Amino acid sequence: MNALTTLVVLGQVAAGEVGSGRITGGWGYVWVSYGITWGSLALYALSLWLRRPTKNLTAGPKE
Amino acid sequence: MFVFTTAVLPLLILVLLVTVGRKFAHVTMPIYALILLGIGHFIGLAVAPPDREMGDVQRIMYAHVPAVWVAMVALTTNFVCSVMYLFKPGWKTDSLAEASAEVGLVFGAVGVLLGAIWGRPTWGVYWTWDPRLTTAAILLVAYMGYMALRRFVEDPEKRAVWSSVVGIIAAVDLPIIWFSVKWWRSLHQVQSTPKTVDPAMQLPLRISAYAFLALAIAFIMYRYRIALAERNAEVALPEALPTDEASAKRTPGVA
Repeated sequence: MNALTTLVVLGQVAAGEVGSGRITGGWGYVWVSYGITWGSLALYALSLWLRRPTKNLTAGPKE
Repeated sequence: MFVFTTAVLPLLILVLLVTVGRKFAHVTMPIYALILLGIGHFIGLAVAPPDREMGDVQRIMYAHVPAVWVAMVALTTNFVCSVMYLFKPGWKTDSLAEASAEVGLVFGAVGVLLGAIWGRPTWGVYWTWDPRLTTAAILLVAYMGYMALRRFVEDPEKRAVWSSVVGIIAAVDLPIIWFSVKWWRSLHQVQSTPKTVDPAMQLPLRISAYAFLALAIAFIMYRYRIALAERNAEVALPEALPTDEASAKRTPGVA
């Protein structure tokens, strides 16, 4: 019984420590994320263009 | 009507571009992807409401979630191609496996990186060894190994078989990543799907997802052509592959 009471008290304390409200700001994280996304995809597209085959080859002997 | 215009119509156009308009897909697909990406990210950044608890930081979702989804789709394609190659070897299958693995790795790396950035303001840390994050990191390492293997093995036949086996083994991690937030106590939230997010956030999430899917298809198409050209160049070398007679004699599915 004593342990149960302790647990309830601890639970109430823990609940009081949980934050409430909303994260404010944070646009820096958002812009960095979108910048990384657009930049990475653009760089990968560029790498594909630089590696593009110079001519169309027919399929190999397995085809 | 809302579901049709946001969920069905973009997918229908995507399917039409890949099937009916296949001849021009190498041009139309990137354009379609960029249009959808512009619309999806504009709505996500400027129109959609901030999250009740995470505020504006939650807008990272419109890039993070589609990147991970598309990575899963691309790597599942790699798994299917790997299995297919072992049953019916073909350079086209091997080239598609290589293309889908590389594109999946790019999107997967973007997804994990964005997840780490999102974690800093919400969890207080960029990285923690949470089940979802750990399995995602294992996935990246596994497919980096897959790509490294493809570079190290010179014989195209051996490379195709060995990488198929590695592709199948690495794919075991895909369902583990997906279900990790359900199987274990994870710091990561449950999957963000149209069912688990607010209706106001569904539109930018769906459009961004289709944009990433269209972009991934375009990337895979271009990477596939590069891979196939490389295979043909290798096969053109006289000592690169066994002769046709030797290929015919060998046991099916074994190099």
